[in-house]
Amino acid sequence: MELHTPTCQCGEETEEARRARVAEIIDEFHAQPDNLIQILHLVQGIYGYLPLDVQQFIAERMDLPLSEIYGVSTFYSFFSTEPRGEYTIRVCMGTACYVRGSTKILKRLSEMLDVAVGSTTKDRKFTLEVMRCMGACGLAPAVSVNGEVIPQVNPDKLNRILEMCS
Amino acid sequence: MVMSHVVTSKDGLEQIAARFNARQKEAKYHLLVCAGAGCVSSGCHAVKNALLAALEEHGLADQVTVCETGCIGTCDLGPSLVVQPDGVFYTKLKAADMGRIVTQHLLGGSIIEKLCYFDKEKDERVKHLVDIEFFKRQTRLVTGRCGYMPFDSIEGYIASEGYFALAKALSEMSREDVIDEMKRSGLRGRGGGGFPTGVKWEAGYKAAGEQKYVVCNADEGDPGAFMDRSLLEGDPHAIIEGLLIAGYAIGADRAFVYVRAEYPLAVERLQKAIGQAREYGFLGDQVMGTDFRFDIEIRIGAGAFVCGEETALMASIEGKRGEPRQKPPFPFEAGVYGKPTIINNVETYANVPLIILKSAEWYAGFGTPGSKGTKVFALAGDVQNTGIVEVPMGMPFGEIIYDIGGGPQKGKRFKAAQTGGPSGGCLTREHLNAPVDFDSLRSLGTIMGSGGLIAMDEDTCMVDVARFFMEFVQDESCGKCVPCRIGTRRMLEILERITKGQGRESDIEVLQELAITCRETATCGLGQTAGNPVLSTLRYFRDEYEEHIRHKHCRAGVCTELMVSPCQNACPAGVNVPGYVALIAAGRPRDAYNLVRKENPFPAICGRICTHPCESKCRRAQLDDPVAICDLKRYAADYVFENEEPYMDLVFPKKPESVGIIGAGPAGLTCSYYLARLGYDVTVYETQPIAGGILAYGIPEYRLPKKILAKEIRMIEQAGVTIQTGVEVGKDVTFKKLRAKHNAIFIATGTQFPNTIDVPGEELEGVYHGLDFLRDVSLGKPVQVGKNVVVIGGGSTAFDAARTALRLGADKVTVLYRRLIEDMPADEREIQEALDEGIEIRQLMAPVAFVGKKTVSGVRCVRMELRGFDDSGRRKPRPVEGLEFVISADMVIPAVSQHSDLPFISKDEVEVTKWGTLRVDADSMMTNMRGVFAGGDVVRGPDVAITAIADGKQAAVAIDKFLGGPGTLNTGEPIEIPMPTDEKEVVEHERFPLRLRDVDTRKTSFSEVVIGFHKLNAIAEAMRCLRCDRR
Repeated sequence: MELHTPTCQCGEETEEARRARVAEIIDEFHAQPDNLIQILHLVQGIYGYLPLDVQQFIAERMDLPLSEIYGVSTFYSFFSTEPRGEYTIRVCMGTACYVRGSTKILKRLSEMLDVAVGSTTKDRKFTLEVMRCMGACGLAPAVSVNGEVIPQVNPDKLNRILEMCS
Repeated sequence: MVMSHVVTSKDGLEQIAARFNARQKEAKYHLLVCAGAGCVSSGCHAVKNALLAALEEHGLADQVTVCETGCIGTCDLGPSLVVQPDGVFYTKLKAADMGRIVTQHLLGGSIIEKLCYFDKEKDERVKHLVDIEFFKRQTRLVTGRCGYMPFDSIEGYIASEGYFALAKALSEMSREDVIDEMKRSGLRGRGGGGFPTGVKWEAGYKAAGEQKYVVCNADEGDPGAFMDRSLLEGDPHAIIEGLLIAGYAIGADRAFVYVRAEYPLAVERLQKAIGQAREYGFLGDQVMGTDFRFDIEIRIGAGAFVCGEETALMASIEGKRGEPRQKPPFPFEAGVYGKPTIINNVETYANVPLIILKSAEWYAGFGTPGSKGTKVFALAGDVQNTGIVEVPMGMPFGEIIYDIGGGPQKGKRFKAAQTGGPSGGCLTREHLNAPVDFDSLRSLGTIMGSGGLIAMDEDTCMVDVARFFMEFVQDESCGKCVPCRIGTRRMLEILERITKGQGRESDIEVLQELAITCRETATCGLGQTAGNPVLSTLRYFRDEYEEHIRHKHCRAGVCTELMVSPCQNACPAGVNVPGYVALIAAGRPRDAYNLVRKENPFPAICGRICTHPCESKCRRAQLDDPVAICDLKRYAADYVFENEEPYMDLVFPKKPESVGIIGAGPAGLTCSYYLARLGYDVTVYETQPIAGGILAYGIPEYRLPKKILAKEIRMIEQAGVTIQTGVEVGKDVTFKKLRAKHNAIFIATGTQFPNTIDVPGEELEGVYHGLDFLRDVSLGKPVQVGKNVVVIGGGSTAFDAARTALRLGADKVTVLYRRLIEDMPADEREIQEALDEGIEIRQLMAPVAFVGKKTVSGVRCVRMELRGFDDSGRRKPRPVEGLEFVISADMVIPAVSQHSDLPFISKDEVEVTKWGTLRVDADSMMTNMRGVFAGGDVVRGPDVAITAIADGKQAAVAIDKFLGGPGTLNTGEPIEIPMPTDEKEVVEHERFPLRLRDVDTRKTSFSEVVIGFHKLNAIAEAMRCLRCDRR
C-alpha cells in the first residue's frame, strides 16, 4: 500500500520568502477586499494554515482591520488557524464501524500518537480526527489516512499504518 | 489572442461547426471517455492513456478520435466509454481492457459483451447506450451533450448548436424579447425555490442603475447533490452562454460564478472554457462584434453551506463572512456591491440557450402546466443505479426510483426518499404515483430543491435521518440570528435524546414548536427551513418517533443504543441472537437452546419455520451473506433433543388466579407458558384434536415434523399448562361460562377460514381451498388429489399446498401468481425448494374463472402487467386486456388469504375491525370487554408465527399486570454469554452448507426436507457472527 504524501514541500522555505510570496499574492489581487477569500486560499497553500501573525501581515498589507481577516478565516471551514499534521488520520464513527470497535481504534491511536482527538501531534506529523460514515461499512472498522481508505483495521494493524507514514 | 478566431455572426458559427463536423467525419470512430468527477476518481485518465497507447500501437491514432466527455450519469459504473457512431457503451473499465477494445471492437468489428452494461433485472448485457433502461426513460436536454461531445472543445460546443442562441439573441432579439421568451417558457429556478426565471430577469431589467451584475450560484452544498457540478464539468460553455444571455437581457456587463471550494475540477474546466470564450470573442468588450460588453469571473467559496443562500453568497463574493441578511431589499434591487443583481443557479442557466434557440413554445412542451421543462436529479442512496438523471417535470416519483434507479438493493423494501436536502422533506411509498414537479412536491410537504434525491430503504430510521440533517444544519448555521443558532441546537439535542432512548412524552410537540418558530423568525432560508426534515418525517413517520420515545424501539435497527444488536432488535420476540450464536460457537448448544427459550418457547419450531426477520438486518450481509441465524437455532434445538434429557422449568409458587386461553396456536401457547411460569393456573381450550394451531395443521410434516411440535408443546405442559383439545368454545362450553370460571381470558384463535377469491366456478368439485386442504391432510382425512394441480397464490400456504399435492401423487403442479416471483411473500428458500422439486411457477397470472361442468377442468387466466404502485409501495398488477387463456387442471387450490371469525361472541358485544379482526388496546392488549385479551392473527390478520409468539408474550405481561402482578416474566436463570476477545481480521466467507434431503427422495415422501447443520459447520457458521452486541 502506498500513501500520498501532502503536496506542500514548503518546509525549506524561509519565513521572509514566504512573506514575499504572500505580498505578491495580495498585489496580484490589487489588495481588493472582495478578493480576501481567494487570497486566503492561496496563503493557506503556502503555510498549510493561517497563522495569526500572517493574518496580521495580510491585514496591514490590505489595509483592513485584523478582526475582519480573522472573522473570515474562522467563518469558513476550509480555513484553519491551527497547524495541521502531514498526515490526517480519520477514524470512521459510522454505525457499522462503531459496532465493530472503532472507539477502541480511536482510543489506541490517541494513546499511540499522544494526541487528543481533533488535534495535531507536536511534531506536526499527524492530525487525528473522527469522521461520519465514509461508506466502507462492509470493511468496518475503517480508517482513512490522507483520504485513502484502510479497511478492517484492528489495533495490531495500527502500528503498520503508522510505519507507512514515515 | 488570434484574431481569426473571433466569431461575429451566425455564419461564423456555421463555418466553425462545418469545419468541426468535417474533421469528425474523417475519423472512423469517436471514443468518448466519461470524465465526470466520479469517473476521474475511479481512474478514467489511466483508461484514456491506455486507450491512446493501444491506438498508437495499432496505428489507428489518425482514424480514431479520443476525447473526454461530460458526466454521462452512471457514476457507479465508471470508468466508462462510448464508442460512436456505434453507440456502444462500455462500463467499469480497466486500463488492461483497452487493448481488447482496440483489437476486437475497432479492428475486428465485434462488440465485447463482457464489458457492456449488465442489466440485473433482465439478467443480460446491454450493448447500446440507448437501450439501457436507465437512459431510455430520461429526456436529456441540459445534459444532452454529456456523453456525445468533448467538454473541453469550444468548437465541439459550437458544432452542437452552441452559441447559436447567443447569436440569435444579439442579432434578432431585443432585450425585452429575450425576457418575454423566458417568461413564456415557464422556466422556474432550479436552485430550489422555483421562482419564475423570466419574472426575476424582468425585475433586474427594470431595476434602476448603470451597473448591474449577473451571478451564477454554483455553491451546491446539499449532501447528496451533484447535478451542478456535473453540468459545470460536463458542459461549461452552456453555463457561459446562459450567463451571457442573462447579462444581455438585464443590462449587466459582469458575471460572477460562485463555485464551492470542494469542486476544484469544475473551477478548472470553467476557467478554461472562459478563456476559450474570450478567445472566440464571446466574452470581452465586444461580444460577437456587437457593443455588448460582458465578462465572467469565478469566485471560489471556502466551505460554508449557508453561502448557497443568495444574500450570504453575495457577502461571500464581496470577500466577507458569508452571513445572510434580511430581504428586502432583494438582490434585483440591491445585490452584489449594492447593485442590482440577478442570481440563478447553474442548471437554470444551462436551460437558457435551449429556450432562446428552440423557442419558449418548444420548451414548454416538456413538463407539466406549472413546471415546464426537465429537471436534473442526483440519484443517490439505496437504489441500484445511482448517478445523474434528467427527466421531464411531472414524471411519477416511482418511475424515477424504480424504472431509472432500478429500485432498492438486495431485495430490500423502499421506504422513503429525501428531496431538497436539509431544507426539504421526504416522500414515501404512498407517493410513488405522485408527479415530481414544484407544486406537487410542495403539497406533499417537501420541495424540489436543487435536485438531490436520496433513496432510503427499510433499514433507514427516519428519526435518525432527521437527526442527521439537524446535525448538518446545526453545524452549518452561521450563528447570526438566534432562532437558527439556538433553535437548531435545541432540536438536535432533542433528536439525539430520542435516538438514545431518552425521549420524553412532550418531545414531539416541542420539536414541532421549535421547527415552526424557526420557520417564522429565522433570517434566512437555512434557518427557516431547518426544521423541515423534522416536520416532514413527523408527518409521515410519527409512529417511529413514538416507538422510540415510548417503547425504546427502533424498527430499522439503526439507533444502536436502543438494542443489543440489529438482529435481536428485528426479532419480534426479542431473542438475544448474538448471545445464542456465540454459545453455539463456544460449543454450548444446550445453553444456546435455553437462551432462545427464555424469550421464545419454540426454538426447535422456529428454527424450522420462522421467517427470520433477524437475518434481513444481519450486518454480515454487507460483507458476504447474513449469518444463518434460523438454521443455527434449529441446530441447537436438535442437538438438545438428540443428546440430552428433558428438564423442568423453574416455576414460581402457585397463584390463586386462573386464566383461560382460547386457541392452542403459537400465540395462545406462548401466553400460557409464560403465565404458568408465573404461577397462574392456565387452561388452553382447543377445538381441533391436536394442539399447535396452524403449526399443527397448516404446516406440512416435511417442513415441521409433528414429533418436534409435540415435544415443545409437551415442555409447555410440563410448566403446568393444561391443554384441553377437542373443546370448541361456543359449542362444548359457552364463552360466558369461561369468563365466569377464569379471572382473565386470552383469545388467540387465529385466522382459520380461507378467503374465497371470488371468481365464477369456485363451487366446482376439485376446487379445494389451501388451508382446508392442508388441514385435512394433516388430520389424516381422506383427500383426493388431482393429477394436474393448479395452486393460486404466492405465500407460504400456497407453496405448502403445492408441495403437499406433489407429495400426494400429483403429476404436475403449477403455481399462479399475479405479481413477480420476487414479490412473493413466501420465503425465498421455500420457493427454490419447490422449483427444485419440479413445481412450475407462472408469474403475472391471475384467475378469472374456474371452468368445468361439475368438476373443475381448468383455470381461465388473464395475463397481468405491473403498472404504477399501490399504497404499500408494491407495483400494482392489472390485467392486460385480450390476453386470456385456459390452463387445464383437475384440481385447483386457491390459497390467497384467510380471515377470522368468532362464532362464540356476539358481534355487538366485542369491537371488531372492518376486516373482522378484534380491536385491542395496543399496550394492554385488552378488548373492550374487561379481562378479555386477544393477540396473534385474530388481531393482526394473517401474519407469521414469530409475531404471534411475540403477542403471546406481551399478553402474558399485560394479563399479569391486570391480575395485580408487576408484569415481569419469569424467564429463568441468567445465562453467561462469552464475550469475544479476538481482534483478528474478518475473512470473507459465504454461509456454511446445510444438509438437505435429495430432491428425488423428498418429492415422494413427507420426510423433513432439511436435515440440518453438521456440528462443525454449525460452529463455523456461528463464528461468522460479527458480534454487533459488543460495544
